[in-house]
Amino acid sequence: MKKLLALLLALCMVFALAACGEPAPAEKPAEGETAETAETTETTETTETTEAPVEITLWTYPIGNWGDEATVKALIDGFTAETGIVVKVEYLTYADGDDKVNTALTAKQAPDLIMEGPERLVTNWGVKGYMVDISDMFDDTDKAEINAAALAACYAPNGAAYEYPVVMTAHCMAINYTAFVEAGADQYIDLETHTWTTEQFFQAVQALYDYYGGTVGAIYCSGQGGDQGTRALINNLYGGTFTTADHTAYTWDDPLNIKALKALYDQDGIDFDPGINGGEEIANFYNGIFKMAFCWNIAQQLNPNSAGTGAGLTGSGDEIVFMAFPSEDGTAKLQGGIWGFGIFDNGDPAKIEAARTFIKYMCDSEHTADAVRASNFFAARSSAEGTDLSTVWADNEIMDEYTKILPMLGDYYQVTTNWPTARTAWWNMLQQVGTSDGSEEAIAAAVAEFCKQANTPAA
Amino acid sequence: MSKNNGSSLAYRIISIVILLVLAFLFLFPLYWIVTGSLKTQQAINSATPDWWPKEFTLRNYETLFSKRTAPLFQLGSLTGPTVPGAIRWLINTVFMAVMAMLLTCVTAAMAGYSLAKKRFTGRYLLFSLIVAAMALPKQVILIPLIREMSSLGLYDNIWAVILPTVGWPFGVFLMKQFSEGIPGEMLEAARIDGASELKTFTTVVYPMIKPGVGALAIFTFINSWNDYFLQLIMLTSSNKLTISLGIATMQAENSTDYGLIMAGASLAAIPIILVFLVFQKYFTKGITMGAVKG
Amino acid sequence: MYKTMSPRLRRRENISGYMFLLPSLIFFLGFVVYPMIMCIWTSFTDANMDINTPTSFIGFANYKELWQDPVFLKGLRNTIIIVVVSVPVVCIFSLWVASAIYKMKEGPLSFFRIVFYLPVVTGSVAVTVVWKWMYNNYTGIFNYLLKNGGIIDKNINWLGDPKYALACIILILLTTSVGQPIVLYVSALSNVDHSLVEAAEVDGATNTQAFWRIKWPQIMPTTLYILIITTINSFQCFALIQLLTSGGPNYATETIMYYIYYTAFKLSRFGYGNAMGVILAIFIAILSAVQFRLAKEK
Repeated sequence: MKKLLALLLALCMVFALAACGEPAPAEKPAEGETAETAETTETTETTETTEAPVEITLWTYPIGNWGDEATVKALIDGFTAETGIVVKVEYLTYADGDDKVNTALTAKQAPDLIMEGPERLVTNWGVKGYMVDISDMFDDTDKAEINAAALAACYAPNGAAYEYPVVMTAHCMAINYTAFVEAGADQYIDLETHTWTTEQFFQAVQALYDYYGGTVGAIYCSGQGGDQGTRALINNLYGGTFTTADHTAYTWDDPLNIKALKALYDQDGIDFDPGINGGEEIANFYNGIFKMAFCWNIAQQLNPNSAGTGAGLTGSGDEIVFMAFPSEDGTAKLQGGIWGFGIFDNGDPAKIEAARTFIKYMCDSEHTADAVRASNFFAARSSAEGTDLSTVWADNEIMDEYTKILPMLGDYYQVTTNWPTARTAWWNMLQQVGTSDGSEEAIAAAVAEFCKQANTPAA
Repeated sequence: MSKNNGSSLAYRIISIVILLVLAFLFLFPLYWIVTGSLKTQQAINSATPDWWPKEFTLRNYETLFSKRTAPLFQLGSLTGPTVPGAIRWLINTVFMAVMAMLLTCVTAAMAGYSLAKKRFTGRYLLFSLIVAAMALPKQVILIPLIREMSSLGLYDNIWAVILPTVGWPFGVFLMKQFSEGIPGEMLEAARIDGASELKTFTTVVYPMIKPGVGALAIFTFINSWNDYFLQLIMLTSSNKLTISLGIATMQAENSTDYGLIMAGASLAAIPIILVFLVFQKYFTKGITMGAVKG
Repeated sequence: MYKTMSPRLRRRENISGYMFLLPSLIFFLGFVVYPMIMCIWTSFTDANMDINTPTSFIGFANYKELWQDPVFLKGLRNTIIIVVVSVPVVCIFSLWVASAIYKMKEGPLSFFRIVFYLPVVTGSVAVTVVWKWMYNNYTGIFNYLLKNGGIIDKNINWLGDPKYALACIILILLTTSVGQPIVLYVSALSNVDHSLVEAAEVDGATNTQAFWRIKWPQIMPTTLYILIITTINSFQCFALIQLLTSGGPNYATETIMYYIYYTAFKLSRFGYGNAMGVILAIFIAILSAVQFRLAKEK
């Protein structure tokens, strides 16, 4: 018995050592030591590069096919072959990605590289001091090549750049065109320009509701990603604004927004649904339950759905048409999406250098075209190191068609101060509106309450 | 039983019928998980459910196994062959549960015996501390725990989940209750025979508390397998996830692909249910003994 | 006995006592007590994720803010509702099931015991995802059954409607909470001294009378134990909220446990989150102490 116990204990120890020895991430120096290590940069660099390959980690959100293991592996393999830098990739989801990054930051185990948009990289982690300033990576040629709005969004108010943009798009919405035709609602849309007016939008919803009943479209608001869809819908209907022009305060309490919320609340077939999030809205749209989706973009349009009927089709084969958000005069201000890479400051100069190499490779080299193609979005710059990027999608009909609505790209306000809090407050506001009695006072009260919350910086 | 036979019989029949209905309702979610994992996407998304899959498909499992890949194991620089991520998650989970179980049993059996039978200074204080901590929700200490694991270099490591599980004082409490039943004379006799403390523990104490250790083992195994919260905050890399976390991640990614999620849920639930069914006798014995004496 | 020991023996008892306790104590102090102390300490600071501002000691400010935070108060209210509803229901339900099955033969007895325990074993994640599907507004089985049964004519958005969301969460919690109490009651009931029950029956007591007079007092310790574990379990309800509603809609399912997680990882306010944790711990400690005291008295 004694032997057995001893054996068990010994076994535990062996396993413990084996398992600890394996993944225990190289002890990262605490913040205090950063300066010290920086002084010894050169020595570390030379030894690291000559002896062992540098290994960095990249966490990516599902940005087009940047969430697909096979696609990303191909890109990374190319990078490793050329530079000798090993990249370990983790795939985040919009549902729990932010929590994971925050937990990792709490544990001081953040990844070296992260791929997402400025609303997270710049406004959240950058401003809080977790990211490396990469403004020196933009030379004059880069500044000329990169889309001005995208470039501006990557800079924090303190003048540091925390993101290098690689792709961008305009978010739109989608309709089940087959259902529209069947319900006679296709008369309300301009198929040529992919636009409609507010009045036409409500007429179409009514027609679909009269024909099918149930939910035509849902203001999903259980939280998490996809907020751009609901924001764009509500702002565009009557021309309300989301923030001030200088991105210093939130302006949801704009009476035009309240009018839009009231109109949506009153419209048959539009349901405020706190039970689902953006992803579930899309799934319900694919399943033919909803006849329109507000959480849409070109990557969705190109993605073959999970039922396997093909790109641009619902699960039962109905045709999906992308549309600009409705507005009074038919020209919407679309929400931009910008995605790129940022570097977390983990205090290891060798890794930061490797991460810079990675960014240069993906965002500003002859390989950028591949990185762009993987995302299913448009390049954030006209050309990179002599490669013309405007023609990346020349052979793709849908992408070509999509360029029609790109000029409607509106202000990129996701860099407004306090964005993470504002995003949450926005969901809560929609939930409260949806569960209220729908009176104008109740809606105005909900909007005022949460707008105030968004404008109050966290203590 | 003798005089109100008629009404008693009626009551018994009714209660058995109700019990059977309840049993059906309790089994239904499990049934729904397993059959759901075998249904086609159309059947899953239809507003009219198929009570029994009209058309069986393994597509959900194929998707589940092709979604993420991971090396089978990593020991130092040695890396195993690439397998579906879900397999790696299962292996991680088994490793975690077994380690937590072994360490808990060994440490708790010793500590429980000590608290029950040893007359040392401070034992009342320690025991009160342990009882008080049992009521403490783990979530309360999550932030300091993450910091601690990070400074130990254990964040995002399966040991960050195992160690707090072993530290959780329920096992010590249970083992103390069991050890109370050891007759003092036997320990006295062993001491008079000149047996060392360790020998007394292994030859006299252990055989007597063996059923308790068995109960604790299965209890810890199941609890650690299902301790979603601790796993959620400690593990991030897809190679290191447990099966519960993997399923949760999948449901975040494909929140309405219920077929795929049910396939994952089956994979997470069936092994642990089998373990439970095999060992359930020990288990029920364990939880009752711990409670009745407590 | 301790007092009669010789000093040498006493020393041996002390040393060996601690030696046996040591391995467990290391884990306990290292991974439960130490974080708890850190938690209390941090709760008096404004620790957050912003590394540009140093953490400073702010006394009871976090605690004061809590009582003005409407979300915390809502979370507290919901947590109390969950506890107040689920604890008695679990106790009564499991007592009834146990008394209906404890006299059965070994086969059916273990069948029922296993069936009611299965949701616990299945694990919170697997259980939660299947319920999420069953509750689904469009493809869920509840809406299908109720609609076809003519009970409702419009689909109910179970988890999206503040009227139902909390009730839906509690229902799942109940199915995963009755397993252990049933097992406990079955054994407590079969340990009841049967000569007493028979004597009562001879005296002409009905089944109900016999139950309340003879059996109930004897299973009282078990009842109290069940009360305590169910209370603790109900307080800890986290996975259900995180996976189903994230506290919504409109905070209808916000619980303290989820709000702690939310404050820590979405708002990154560690000090504030820890203050909430301390309050919750005190809350549970008081409840458990009361219940333990009652158990001692019986």
